[in-house]
Amino acid sequence: MRISGKALLTAGAAAAGAVTATRIAAARRSSTQAAGRRHVITVNRAFDEAGTGRLPAPLAELGEAVEIRRQPAPGGRGTEISARARSGKVSDGDIRRALREARSELEVGYVLLPGGPTTEPTPLNKPLREATAHGREGGLL
Amino acid sequence: MKALQWQGVNKLAVGDVPDPQLRNPGDIIVKVRRTVTCGSDLHLLGGYIPFMEKGDVLGHEFLGEVVEVGPEVRRHRVGDRVVVSSFISCGKCWFCEQELYSLCDNGNTNPAITETLWGQAPGGCFGYSHAMGGNPGSHAEYIRVPFADVGAFPVPGEVSDERALFASDAAATGWMGADLGGVKPGDVVAVWGAGGVGQMAARAAMLLGAERVIVIDRLDNRLQQVEKYIGAETLNFERTDVALELRERSGGRGPDVCIEAVGMEAAGKGPQYAYDQLKQQLRLQSDRPVAVREAVHACRKGGSVFVLGVYAGFVDKFPLGALMNKGVTMRGAQMHGQRYIPMLLDRMARGELVTEHLATHVMPLAEAPEGYRIFKEKEDNCVRAVFVP
Ligand SMILES: NC(=O)c1ccc[n+]([C@@H]2O[C@H](COP(=O)([O-])OP(=O)(O)OC[C@H]3O[C@@H](n4cnc5c(N)ncnc54)[C@H](O)[C@@H]3O)[C@@H](O)[C@H]2O)c1
Ligand SMILES: [Zn+2]
Ligand SMILES: [Zn+2]
Repeated sequence: MRISGKALLTAGAAAAGAVTATRIAAARRSSTQAAGRRHVITVNRAFDEAGTGRLPAPLAELGEAVEIRRQPAPGGRGTEISARARSGKVSDGDIRRALREARSELEVGYVLLPGGPTTEPTPLNKPLREATAHGREGGLL
Repeated sequence: MKALQWQGVNKLAVGDVPDPQLRNPGDIIVKVRRTVTCGSDLHLLGGYIPFMEKGDVLGHEFLGEVVEVGPEVRRHRVGDRVVVSSFISCGKCWFCEQELYSLCDNGNTNPAITETLWGQAPGGCFGYSHAMGGNPGSHAEYIRVPFADVGAFPVPGEVSDERALFASDAAATGWMGADLGGVKPGDVVAVWGAGGVGQMAARAAMLLGAERVIVIDRLDNRLQQVEKYIGAETLNFERTDVALELRERSGGRGPDVCIEAVGMEAAGKGPQYAYDQLKQQLRLQSDRPVAVREAVHACRKGGSVFVLGVYAGFVDKFPLGALMNKGVTMRGAQMHGQRYIPMLLDRMARGELVTEHLATHVMPLAEAPEGYRIFKEKEDNCVRAVFVP
């Protein structure tokens, strides 16, 4: 027997928002070497559409804590959005996640949520679980 | 529901997991009708790709029936029979627009791992570790398919489940190797590996007009399948010198296109193979690139090598000198299934592409751990084990 998942859709979105909020409220102190670096992504949307007007929610939520720039990508290949922390209030991880989520919102209209989970914690997979709990915050972006 | 779960290195079990739910508006839920083992799973099973968690559901090559659709889904209705691309792609990002679907910017919820490893993150895949998004796989009664309008395709009535199943991964991967490897009419093409992927690559090369296609393996039953169902020539690397034989069969020039469909657990012989195995066991190299080396060396001047086999990290003794001085082009990719699946289904309907023979073993999902054992050991002439949930 299957239960309909439609109700969960909205619940899922709300949960994602709550997580975002907690992250910002917690304002994890950034202590990485690259703190203050400018992080940048290219969004596959024309500058007219993605380069002006309201920022997508994940970036808007960071508010005054980040400085954001938008410019047309070379060759008309979309819009570059970059962000840099103005102070230690926002971590590089927060910025990476916000940029990736903003790109998804602009391109797709929503951010892909993970499926499952079907797994259980073990001492062996502890580091992996920690990494995937912050899957959009890490990396090199 | 029941699902096949990874429990640790070389440990699988069928267990109970929660039913999948629609989580994004573009999702559908598919009731799995057929799901199959892939050579890629062996790399996960053996612990060569260390991003698995106890309980992860395996499987990425499957076909089934739509049982639920999200509010933004336009192309599918409950009751449709669909085959699904193994890679999860949004269809909207720059990479999807270039039809490089497995490189999707929005299809992996964990881009950090692969971005750190490789510089940039490819997209997500079903049942293929947390590096590829940690998406529950298809060896289960039901599966959630995100971006369903992009990745799920209706199966034409005249194509059986048995045949259409392989459009999901093996056939699309093989086609990509021949297509992006640049196979042209009249070419001589060599394919390393006579598993599902290698066989499909060989068939694709023939359909793209190659005049001579030679498939290399050591397993006679697989080579016999190549001769009987694919219609290509074969070469057993345990009985012949691959380099010499390919030279002879290509008029002394070397194959125009070399497609590698073996992967990081390649078998080989002689001291170089012993060296690779030892280094891999000591974790000094992550992959054994026996077939890639051979392909680069055999390839004609100015020819191309396409790497379909999965590699995770670093390799030793790569013949960079041969690549550079011979002007060889080398490419690789995870499969861009969305680009090829509709065309493959048409060809399947016309009988140009047959795949059913790959399913040497068909069994209930409950027997999947045994199915993987047989597939891994290549026991009883197994080419692919298909599970029916
Ligand atoms: N690029 C992609 O998107 C994609 C998709 C599916 C599979 N794959 C990869 O393609 C590879 C093949 O997949 P498969 O399902 O056919 O696997 P498989 O394990 O069924 O087949 C591999 C074959 O290679 C043969 N082989 C081993 N060493 C060899 C050598 N030195 N020379 C020639 N042949 C050799 C084996 O005997 C076997 O028949 C795997 O690495 C898999 O991970 C990639
Ligand atoms: Zn596969
Ligand atoms: Zn995409």
